[in-house]
Amino acid sequence: MPIPIEAQGLRKVYGSRFRGRRIAALEGLDLKVEPGEVFGLLGPNGAGKTTTVKILLGLTRPSAGSARLFGLPSSDPKSRRRVGYLPEGHRFPGYLTARQTLSIFGRMSGVDTATLGRRIPMLLERVRLTDWTDVRVRKYSKGMTQRLGLAAALVHDPDVLLLDEPTDGVDPIGRREIRDLLQEEAARGKAILLNSHLLSEIERMCSRVAVLRAGRVAAQGRIDELTAGGSRYRLVASGVDERLLAAFRDTGASIERVNGHFDLTARDLDHLNALVDRLRSGGARLQELSPVRSSLEDVFVGLVRDGDAGKGARP
Amino acid sequence: MRAFAASVQEVFREAAARWTLVAYFALSSLFILIFACAVNLDIVNGALAGAKLFGQSVEIGDRAIDVDKIVLGFESGFSGFLYLVGTFLALFATAHLVPRLQEKGTIDLYLSRPVGRVALLLSRYAGGLLLAAANLAYLIGAMWLIVVWKTRVLHPRFLLSGVVILFAFAALLAFAFLVGVVTSSTGVSLMATYALFFLGAALSAHDRIAAAVSTELSARIVQGLYWVFPKTAELGQATVALVAGQEAPERLADFNALGIYGSTAVFAVASLALASWLFSRKDF
Repeated sequence: MPIPIEAQGLRKVYGSRFRGRRIAALEGLDLKVEPGEVFGLLGPNGAGKTTTVKILLGLTRPSAGSARLFGLPSSDPKSRRRVGYLPEGHRFPGYLTARQTLSIFGRMSGVDTATLGRRIPMLLERVRLTDWTDVRVRKYSKGMTQRLGLAAALVHDPDVLLLDEPTDGVDPIGRREIRDLLQEEAARGKAILLNSHLLSEIERMCSRVAVLRAGRVAAQGRIDELTAGGSRYRLVASGVDERLLAAFRDTGASIERVNGHFDLTARDLDHLNALVDRLRSGGARLQELSPVRSSLEDVFVGLVRDGDAGKGARP
Repeated sequence: MRAFAASVQEVFREAAARWTLVAYFALSSLFILIFACAVNLDIVNGALAGAKLFGQSVEIGDRAIDVDKIVLGFESGFSGFLYLVGTFLALFATAHLVPRLQEKGTIDLYLSRPVGRVALLLSRYAGGLLLAAANLAYLIGAMWLIVVWKTRVLHPRFLLSGVVILFAFAALLAFAFLVGVVTSSTGVSLMATYALFFLGAALSAHDRIAAAVSTELSARIVQGLYWVFPKTAELGQATVALVAGQEAPERLADFNALGIYGSTAVFAVASLALASWLFSRKDF
């Protein structure tokens, strides 16, 4: 089965040939999203997230590289048959009702009228807009418009969902409902690419993420892999004196006293075990030793800051 | 086809919701109503015995006038007026179709569907044409029925004027689409298309302009532009000539020449093809 979402070496340069100013929005991006996976695309403003989604949908042409949906190039309109998209800041025609909106966009996706007649009420119920079915969209609140957008993205029962800030403007209950709905869709085998600034949302929904920085993937992987502290541990022990700390440092470990505990970094597990032996033989008593896990926000901020520092170091 | 039809339907829904369609038909209805109330003809044995226009009696004289000729003269003259009003109203009602489509937050919703860009643009174009055709059918058909009702003279050639008006509108709308794709502005599209209309009309005097300019190159440019741009003045005259048929004055005889329709059609196709090409290459 072809991969639902695939990008290879994507490059996009914006700018005028005549004015000479050229800005690289993407510089060799590789991406792959499998069926049943909720994949988060993270990055600061201008990192290339929206450009990536737009290239995948054929809204923007890449300067180099390839983007494919189910094996079809994104330039081919057929590639969008199985794709639902919720853009950021979308503007549905205010003169249409929810039913008319879903009917027009459903038919534009190739769904017949009979199927739409069954599917539209079901979808509107799913996004809690049943009471607003025949009310013009211009009367909707932002959260309601967002939920309608989600229904429009799902109207043709797509196998791939590309969602740009899907919970933007939605209240906490609505956000949870959207999260649940997306989890259900993923459980049905749909591939979901989520583009959001809300790291907590990404952390709750996504199985894998990619952090974009200046058009490149700065880190990519499962959230638990990215947030794993690696060799960092929190150590609580009594009887640790300066002599013992110096002995630790002599082995190459890093140890700092922080608010009643120690922040310890070891090379690997063997090294950690050797340090514990040394601690005991030195007369100290171990009370707690636990790995330190970063939040996604820590990882994100760290990656972006590293990038900014690197940029500053350039001549 | 389903997507194409949905897009065309949306053009009508949009026109209705934005009052464009309502205003378009309301203006036409007002026009029809004024016309129906204003004209009062007294016909005796197929000849015009008396006439009133806006309640004022028209002097007929002693000799009887053949109503058939009166109707023909009126309809052919009036079709020229409809040509101007019809095209301007139709352009006003449809020039927004591309700029509104290209608005940020809207275009993504359409292009993310499995519809080719050219098909999407052409569906909007077809929607615009159908909108104009519906209004022209209403306006011209109602006028024709009023004339039949008041005079009992059936002269179906009047209905043909709608075809020429729609043809001229199709060429101008293609150009409005081209400007709309490039600028994303309804105002600029309208202004540029009206300017094209008047430029085309001015170039109908291309022979005289070419004779008046100082250099051979300028004369060639004027002649070249004449053949490139739509023949808006000639099409107006062609509307009159088509309605008048055999009775058309001799000076209008050339206005139904294939060159006039052909070159205007080429302009329309080229404008639409260029608009489609640019639209299909545009980054959103």
